[in-house]
Amino acid sequence: MSEKEQVITPEVFDHLVQLAALELDEEQADYLRRELNSQLSAIRELEAIQLDPETPLASHGVPYDGNNSPALREDVWQACEDVEAITRQAPQFEDGYLIVPDIPHTPLE
Amino acid sequence: MTAYETVIGLETHIQLNTLTKIFCACKADSWEDAPNSNICPVCTGLPGVLPVLNERVVEKAVLLAEAMHAEVQPISYFDRKNYFYPDLPKGFQISQFDVPVALGGYLELPIPAAADPEGKGYVTRVRIHKLHIEEDAGKTKNDGNERQVDFNRCGVPLVEMVTEPDLRTADEAAQYLIRLRQLLRWIGISEADMEKGNLRCDANVSIRPVGATHLNEKTEIKNVNSIDSVREAIRKEVERQTREVEEGNSIKAWTLEWDQDAGVLRKMRSKETEADYRYFREPDLLPLHISEEWKTAILADFPERPLERKARFMQDYNLPEYDADILTLERALSDYFEATVKTYGGDSKKVSNWLMNDVLRMINEDHLDPAAMRLTPQYLAELLKLVDAGTINITTGKALLQQVQESGKAPMQLVEEQGLAQVSDDAAIRAVCEQIIAASPDEVAAYRGGKDSLMGWFVGQVMREMRGKADAKLAKEVLVELLK
Amino acid sequence: MELCDLSAVEVRDLLLEKKVSAVEVLDACQARIDAVDGRPGTLEPGGETKEDAQRVHAFITRTPELARAQAEAVDKQIAAGEDSGPLAGIPFTVKDIFCVKDTPSTAASRILANFNAPYTATAVERLQAAGALMLGKVNLDEFTYGSSSESSAFQPSPRNPWDTTRVPGGSSGGSAASVAAGEAFLSLGTDTAGSIRQPAAFCGVVGLKPTYGRVSRYGLIAFGSSLDCPGPLARNAKDAALMLQAMAGPDPRDATAATLDVPDYLAALEKDIKGKRIGLSPDYFQITFPQADGAYSQQPVPEEMRAAVLHAADIYRALGAEIVEDVPMPNTRYGIPVYFVISRVEAASNLHRYDGVKYGYRTQQAVGELKDLYRKSRGEGFGLQPKLRILMGMYVSAAQYSEQYYRRALRVRTLIRRDFEEAFDPQGKYRLDALLTSTTPTSAFPIQDVYGDSVLMQYADQLTVPANHAGVPGISFPAGFGADGLPIGLQLLGPDYSEATLLQLTHAYEQASAGAEWRKKRPAVLEVR
Ligand SMILES: [Zn+2]
Repeated sequence: MSEKEQVITPEVFDHLVQLAALELDEEQADYLRRELNSQLSAIRELEAIQLDPETPLASHGVPYDGNNSPALREDVWQACEDVEAITRQAPQFEDGYLIVPDIPHTPLE
Repeated sequence: MTAYETVIGLETHIQLNTLTKIFCACKADSWEDAPNSNICPVCTGLPGVLPVLNERVVEKAVLLAEAMHAEVQPISYFDRKNYFYPDLPKGFQISQFDVPVALGGYLELPIPAAADPEGKGYVTRVRIHKLHIEEDAGKTKNDGNERQVDFNRCGVPLVEMVTEPDLRTADEAAQYLIRLRQLLRWIGISEADMEKGNLRCDANVSIRPVGATHLNEKTEIKNVNSIDSVREAIRKEVERQTREVEEGNSIKAWTLEWDQDAGVLRKMRSKETEADYRYFREPDLLPLHISEEWKTAILADFPERPLERKARFMQDYNLPEYDADILTLERALSDYFEATVKTYGGDSKKVSNWLMNDVLRMINEDHLDPAAMRLTPQYLAELLKLVDAGTINITTGKALLQQVQESGKAPMQLVEEQGLAQVSDDAAIRAVCEQIIAASPDEVAAYRGGKDSLMGWFVGQVMREMRGKADAKLAKEVLVELLK
Repeated sequence: MELCDLSAVEVRDLLLEKKVSAVEVLDACQARIDAVDGRPGTLEPGGETKEDAQRVHAFITRTPELARAQAEAVDKQIAAGEDSGPLAGIPFTVKDIFCVKDTPSTAASRILANFNAPYTATAVERLQAAGALMLGKVNLDEFTYGSSSESSAFQPSPRNPWDTTRVPGGSSGGSAASVAAGEAFLSLGTDTAGSIRQPAAFCGVVGLKPTYGRVSRYGLIAFGSSLDCPGPLARNAKDAALMLQAMAGPDPRDATAATLDVPDYLAALEKDIKGKRIGLSPDYFQITFPQADGAYSQQPVPEEMRAAVLHAADIYRALGAEIVEDVPMPNTRYGIPVYFVISRVEAASNLHRYDGVKYGYRTQQAVGELKDLYRKSRGEGFGLQPKLRILMGMYVSAAQYSEQYYRRALRVRTLIRRDFEEAFDPQGKYRLDALLTSTTPTSAFPIQDVYGDSVLMQYADQLTVPANHAGVPGISFPAGFGADGLPIGLQLLGPDYSEATLLQLTHAYEQASAGAEWRKKRPAVLEVR
């Protein structure tokens, strides 16, 4: 694949990595960018399809109607049986709180 | 020098007072609960869990839409708003984006004279852009150089309601919140307590030269959790923007955070663009269908709105605006008023006076719910009739209010039990009057010497002697005659 | 033939007749696992030994005590004449993408390696409630992202019991391998693009992807939420029917779980297939394959695949079915590109929650601020395949590209759905009860052959993925062996909620081919012992 066909440039790629909150080493980054571009060229096959603009978006394949759609949930309280089994999974949990490093703030002016 | 006007749009987040959270069966209200105690796999975003929409959330959203004259959409969709933040356990917020539950609408806003620069008071209409349903995030707080995360609030149902940029002063913004809070409680969909975060507000603020119609770059003020703070934060930000513009600087689309304690605005992260949220349809939820039938059922008992009721009270019951305003602050109080007036059948202004002077004080001091008082509108009406008929005097009547409330007994029963009926017997009163006059030679001399104001003292003495049961009017007549 | 090589239905009958005990059945399976499975996958596998290369490695976690306790309970119930449930005493495995309470639920990823689920997935809960015995959690591609099971963070990854130099397929590779090797009678898998049907085909077992929403997704660690379907892998149609019966149906915890009644699948098996209309489509006799230079070429499926389809059609015709040829499914070729978009957008979002804060892996490195914690934890915790899906999802759903990619893909998905609607329309031209195709373009490929080329790997799903887009059910069943000695699988696709018909047609094929010579063949891992 020529450079020209590489839609995902190193700059675009870096932005995506930023958004995705991933730290990558160079080898991984090279592999991933190459695969992304190669997948994207497969995806671009879709661009050739003549689409009626009225074609609806299918969020699900199976249609849902009155026959198969579940009712909404009733507003009935049921407390979780084992809350500690959830908080026990946290890598850092102190005094009832999950703990994370700080989020820096910039003061105004 | 250019004169500027302020352009404000408010985004309010309204916590709905459902029993459970929006997508799981956890209790919605965690006030005073220990951190991370009111959680389950769903609202903490454990792997594999799925959201299931609480029907009551939809019903409350529809009620709000109706209250705002907004148009409920027959089909709306849930979308994922993706971003990383430790209070957002799934890494996305389930919200609504391009097709929300309701569009349009407005709120009529009476601005009192005190908030009008011209001191007259006026009414402005704030248009609503849209209402959408979403889930609340958890809470984080600083602890040294660490941050503590509490998920109790995750999944509390919210309606985000966005106004058009129709507000022009910080006072209007404050009035909007006051009236919105009243309305939310009125229709019973939110506790609307800003201190508790039931009602939260972000303000989009910009300025422009008076007369201009374009919108300038705006800043977004977040984390303002009282009406006073909203007013103050907007004022400060308007001052800052005016200063910047006058110095030739441009306004940047910052997100600002209001620091309540320091009373200052701080800059938050650079505002993320919508592109970065990568909204897309939530595949775990089906489109939300609100049929005409369901909507009609939800709105079957929809109440008269507060401002409509206020106007009607002024019209139907001849109340002054001041009275009507106070009596319609809360729906239960206004219901109470109207029920009393109807049973009583007499002067509605008299009912208003008793309510505003005495009953309201009881309600406020003892944190009573007007709808659940033992002093029912029927008893209050009965009591007023007793006073009108002269069976008891006003002082006794007022004392009885508290007794009825405490005992739950009918006013008439209390009057009988305690022999409170007013003594209108001319002879009995005359005897007491004579006795008082005889025992008070100095006062008699002073009165006869021209000190008319002592009449009150004489009447008081008679009332005290007769333990309040005397017909005060009659007592006075007798005293005047005897002291001539 | 050992106890563990029977079918679930046969074993159930033996149990009810008290000819064997649940503990005996369980012991037979455990003995088989001990004999053929080798060491379970781990995060620190060290070098691969010669023995490793000859073993199945289906498992990540075995739960023998749990299974034993449950087997003893079942035996007591049977002895007492109590109702022990339709799957009582039947050992099964669970793809390690389902949460099971107090059991590691890893998704075959480092990022969840230490995660102990505090709750149990609906499908697993229902199987256990039906009396089935969980043997443990089996391996898969990391977060199900693959078609060979090689991308698991837990190595050694599963191997094909028919030839351990080959992949078992994926992502339900451990599931298919465990059923094929006689380790378990049934396995619970998931299918997002073919992840049940493709490994079933590669390993010579039956795999059913139910209609979307027929089986609850609650507790299934999500990949593509609008595509994921839990479903059974089994030795034959009857066993699959038995298993589906226990799992299918509405679930108040899944807002997309259909509320339609669940038919009696076992009863449907015995019905006559006379008059059923089975379609063949030219669009499923060819595959569009990316070339090394990036161009695409259309190639016919290998002749032996085509021959297997036509042979099955002959069998069905002989049984009284009508074979409808030349059914156009023109949008089949777009299945993979559409999938590249939709599944990535959903996956990227679904993977947002793994951030080192609430559960799972957190970086051991010192971090100054929260962003570093996210980046390092995710960077170290995710393997390459999840990273690839995250990045692609980020790209195609970004506001400025969404119309071009994501929203376009959703529209093309509608076209794919319409292909099926027209083929199955009871008033339409074709009026099909099912479409018959080969499950895969090839038989199981050699380990390492395709791994790393994410595009080529994805095209292994070309014939299975359209059903996921359309939401319709599909089943893969064994139909002989190729020249390479590896199983060939055929696929039947049907209209929404037509699982009963698919099982019935599969059962009919099994009955008709019961005497075939190829049916006698046994997996290589069993022969060498
Ligand atoms: Zn919850």
